[in-house]
Formats: sequence, structure tokens, C-alpha cells
Amino acid sequence: MADQEAILSSNGDDPRALVVVFLRGGADGLNMVAPFGDDGYRKARPRIALGTEDSIKLDEFYRLNSLLKGLEPAWNEGDLAMIHACGSEDETRSHFEAQDLMEHGGMTAGGWLGRFLRFKDRPADGGLAAIALSKGMPESLRGAPAATAMGSINEFTLGPGNEGVQKSLSRLYSDHGGLLEKPARDTLRALERVDDLRNGDYEPANGAKYSWDPFAKAMAQTARLIKARVGVEAVTIDNGGWDSHLSQGPIMNPRMTRLGDGLGAFHQDLGKDMKNVTVLVLTEFGRRVSENSAFGTDHGRGGVMFVLGKDIQGGKIHGDWPGLSDDVLEGPGDLPVVTNYRDVLAPVLKRHGAGKGMNKIFPDYDLNPLDILS
Amino acid sequence: MVQFWTDHFNIDPSKGDCKWLKIADDRDVVRKHALGTFPDLLKASARSPAMLWYLDGRVNRKQRADEKPNENYARELLELHTLGVNSGYTQEDVMEVARCLTGWTIQETGRSRFAIGSIEFKPHLHDRGDKVVLGQKIEGFSKDLAWDEQKRRGSAELDRVLEIIALHEHTANYIATKLCRRFISDEPPASAVATVAEWFRETDGDIRQTLRSLFHTDEFKAARGGKLKRPFNFVVSALRATNAKTDGGKRVTDYLMRMGHSPFQYPTPDGYPEEAGPWLGTLLWRWNFAVRLASGQLHGTKVDVESLRRSFETKRHAAAALFGRTPERSEIEELRDSDEPLALALASPGFQMC
Repeated sequence: MADQEAILSSNGDDPRALVVVFLRGGADGLNMVAPFGDDGYRKARPRIALGTEDSIKLDEFYRLNSLLKGLEPAWNEGDLAMIHACGSEDETRSHFEAQDLMEHGGMTAGGWLGRFLRFKDRPADGGLAAIALSKGMPESLRGAPAATAMGSINEFTLGPGNEGVQKSLSRLYSDHGGLLEKPARDTLRALERVDDLRNGDYEPANGAKYSWDPFAKAMAQTARLIKARVGVEAVTIDNGGWDSHLSQGPIMNPRMTRLGDGLGAFHQDLGKDMKNVTVLVLTEFGRRVSENSAFGTDHGRGGVMFVLGKDIQGGKIHGDWPGLSDDVLEGPGDLPVVTNYRDVLAPVLKRHGAGKGMNKIFPDYDLNPLDILS
Repeated sequence: MVQFWTDHFNIDPSKGDCKWLKIADDRDVVRKHALGTFPDLLKASARSPAMLWYLDGRVNRKQRADEKPNENYARELLELHTLGVNSGYTQEDVMEVARCLTGWTIQETGRSRFAIGSIEFKPHLHDRGDKVVLGQKIEGFSKDLAWDEQKRRGSAELDRVLEIIALHEHTANYIATKLCRRFISDEPPASAVATVAEWFRETDGDIRQTLRSLFHTDEFKAARGGKLKRPFNFVVSALRATNAKTDGGKRVTDYLMRMGHSPFQYPTPDGYPEEAGPWLGTLLWRWNFAVRLASGQLHGTKVDVESLRRSFETKRHAAAALFGRTPERSEIEELRDSDEPLALALASPGFQMC
């Protein structure tokens, strides 16, 4: 059985939290992290390829879209790893199918994050263990031992005017004793912390500044929940609208700015606490290598994935680059998937305590974990 | 008992076609046989398309000599549905049972659209050799027999396997233990388990009779108030106790999700846990639910607090009805002094236990 105190109140000996950002719609990895060293890149995208003026050098081969410059400090500190030509084995190029597979983690029941929380060495069954900052519950959290879709922090409390009820409950549970006594004490403490959280304004640390868009707000709320130590072990954030079939600049550019700035502010805000936190950024697939006639790109295969955290092999792009020549491209001209996304998730989940549960998290896949931890 | 068997023969609809097929399983397997006999229930489950999908029975086949059967269903059949883990069977038995079950598939295309999703035995995918299950020989059959005769033999072979295990001594013990854990205590007393197991065998797995024997044990009578209600039972008992009018909609099911106990959402074949341990972190949402319900803040659900108040003479009576026992003095005092007695009663430890 899990140690309830660690889970519900202080997070005690295990303050680890996993933040999963899902870029829905299929984000164009090739224009986020551009393979500049590959001649095929500009050839395939004569009008929409990045130039040196709108990109930042990452290494001798890749350049980062300048709109993602919010990620630069994390990259320079070695806290950001990127995995290119990454994705799932789904070949339908359908948003629905591909998201479904990526969130379930295979032809199996439940979502990978739900199974992780349930089957890790110490199950995450505290009241606020998993929080979805989205309209509905994402499929990835299906089967979790506790999962809360949160509109606002106000939902957590018993509401104003119920201080009397809380005091009575405190006395009743302590009189009752037995197996509920300690969980009740922890819950009361968690409620106090949530009340503090509600009542005060949030001051990000280390000079971090979040902007006002929904993604930044979600990242700020995540930071706040993690710092409040109410037992949050996983947060999911939906970041939608990446389906850029036409005029992809106006569609993607503001989203990239917000993504980079939001992640950057979070990284700065958490500072040293990042050692217990990992942010994963996923998308269901990347996009076609060649631009289409409408200055956009169509559904593809391999995309890019980010891992933000401490003690990783950051400042580095992982996964082999397959090249962009015709004999390499898949189907209608797509970057093949060289690294399966599960092989990126696995080492991260291991760090977050998956332990012996790993075989239940990805039961129908032979893991070949990518070497991204340091 | 629907809840009990739903966990016992757990199927998570989020796996493939189970999302369509579990609905029929709920109606034709679980609900139909919940108070019938265990052998009938087991037989129905073994032929349930949803189960064949969920535990990969549909791909368990032997067409070529070198093809290995898929053991998934065979293993869970012995480990979770009948004998219980590490209980009187060997890896050899699992493999032999898997061989017996080869060839059962789900129609995915068909002569009639209405046949899609129904189960079908395909003799050419079956391992027709002899097998030995728990020491009992099961004779194979020749591929030269008429097709319909082969189908009949295959079906009989499945029934034979289920017959060997359904009323096995270990099955009786395992089912009795689970029933006693459900109705008596997280640590079921051995004496009660023995009585219930005996009745299970004696009545050929008659579920009604087996339960009757359980409810007659002294251990059951002494066990009041010692078990933690699982979240689903907490929510339902709160709605019933307050005579609430509810649409059972999202606002209510959201609470079940927060407490990790939504119907049909458990990912692995072992079903939601019965014992208290995994549910101890759910108090936050139980209290929250109690307050929202009692104060009319649960959209789609209404409690007529006034008529509820009128139906009880005193708070002592109300507490006795809610807790199912004589309330403690301290409980009565807290309820008497509270501005929110209903919320407090539903959130109190007395109402979490059963």
C-alpha cells in the first residue's frame, strides 16, 4: 500500500511529477527543429523552409525555429532533449487513429499514463495524483487510480462556509481511528494547502514570466500545483490546433511562440525543483516532408518529441536521422519513424518510479529504451 | 453481484472491439448469470465475444505445426476466473488448456452483417491432438471427420475443460475467499471460507445458495461496519440514502473518475481491487461529493433535504439509518451541533464503512 502522507500532503520522500503536453493535430517537427544539414530539407520546402535568419543553431546539423527561442535557456543548461524522426507505428495518418494509439500505448486496455500511475511501484492513488488540464479526460489517463479533470482549483475545496464541517470531520475521524484516521489527517492538510493556493496570487519564482494565453496559464497552474505539494504526480495538458494543411505560418507560428515561451517560463519558474519534474511534449505524427501547393504540409509520420528535465542528456538531439532521399521516405513522402515514442517514454517513466510495473505499461511492445538519461 | 462478477470477469472496453462487445457481455453473461450457477456463468464468459477479444482468444490458433497457441485467456481462466493464482495447476496445464481453446474466433466479416461480432469455432485453426488438463485426458479428433462433427467436437472440448475446472476444489476455495472478502472482511476468516467453499461444491456452484451459506455464518453477522465502501458504493449509497433524484450524468460520473472507480474502466483482467488499501486516498472526493450533494450544488442531482429531515424524528435516527448501526455519542454530538448535518453525516467515517 502506498504511503498516504507522501502522496496526499507533503509529497514527502517522492515529489516527482510528470507533465505531459500533447500537441494535437500533428505538429510539423521539420519546421520546429529543422534538419538544416540535409539538402533535401530546403529542396522539399522551397517556400516554407526555415532560413538561417529565422532559426537558431542547435548543432552542426539542426536549427531551432526562432519562434521557439523560449526553449533556448533550457537547451543551453542541458535540460532539454529533443528526439527527431520519432512517433508511433500507426500508418493510417489519421488524427483519430494515431492519437488513439499514442495515448493507449498499444492494442491494450487503458492509457499508458493511467497504467503507469496504477502499476508503478507505489501506485498514485492520492486524491490529486493526476490532473488533466483539458476539457475532457485524455485517453492516456484512462484506467488511472485517480484522475481529475480540472476546470479550476476551486473544485478541490469543500467550499466556503464549510470550515465547521472540516473541524467536525477532523474530530470524527480521529475518534473513529482505524484505517481511515491517517488518510483523513492527510486529506485535511491537503485541503488547507489547496485553500492557501486559492486565496493567494501566484508569484512565479526566479523572475519567470508567464504570458496570458491558455497554454502559459496551464503551465503556470501546473507549476503552482507542483509547488503546493498536494500530491500531484501527473498533469496532462492539451495543446491543440497544429493541423497546418494550408498557410502553415499563420497557424503554427503563434502556437510555437506560445509553446516555447510557456515551457521556458515553467523551466525558469521551477528552477532547481526541475530535478523532480519531467515535461514530455508529444504529437500524434509529424508532417509530410514536401510542402503542398497551399503553403502547408499534410499528415506525415515521424515528428519531434521534447523531454524537459534535469539529469537527462539534454542539449542534444537524439535518435538517428534517416535522411530525406526518395528511397528513405515512406509512403507519400514522409519522414520514417526511427524512434518509437514508447522508447522515449520508458526511461522517463522508469525515473518516475515505474519499477516492476513497466511490463504492464507497454504490455504488447518490446521496449528498446532510448539512452536519454544521464 | 453484478459488480462482483464484472470485476471477476473484468473486460475493459477500451481495448479494440470490446467497446461494442462488452455491452452484450454485461447483458448476456454477467447480469444473466449473476445469481445463477457458476458453471453456467463460466461457460457464458468463455463464449463471450468480448472476452475472446479482451484476452486474445480470437487469435489463439494452431494452423501450422510450428504455431504456438496464445496462452493469454487460458492463463487468466485458471489464474483469475477459476482455480486462483499458484493453485493446483502448472505451466503445462496452462499450455494444454490453451491448446484446447485454439480455433475460437470472432466473425469479422460474414454472410450477414448481423453475424459480425459473434463467435465461431474453426476446426482448421484448432489443435486436434490429445491433451491432458489437470491430469484428465481430453481426446482429440481426426481432421477427416465431417466438418459439422468437428465443430461439435471442438465445442465439446471447450465444455470439458470448463467442467474440469468450474467446480474444482481450488475454484471453490478461491471463489469462497473472494466472496468472503467482499462481504465479511478484507482478511476473510478461514472458517467462513471453508463453509462457503463447501456449499459451493455441495450445490454445484449455485450462487444463490452459496451466498445464503455466507450470510448465515457467524463471521458475517459479526462483521458489520468493518469494510470500507468502494467509491462506487459510496456514491450510490449516498444517492440512495438521501433519496436523491439524479440523472446519473457527468457530474456524478466525474466523481467516480476522480476516485479511480468509473464503471468499466479497469485496464487489467483482475478487476478493481476489493480491499481498502488502494481506496484510502479517495476521502477528499468523498467529502467533496457529500458537501456538493447535500447543498444542492451537484448539477443534475437533487436532494429534498426538508422531506428527508421530516422522515427522521431525530438526528440519532437519521445517523442510525445512514450508518446502519447505533451511532456513537460523539457522532450524535457533532451532527447535533453542525450547520450542515447531512453533508457531515455523509462525509463522516460512519458512512464510509459498511
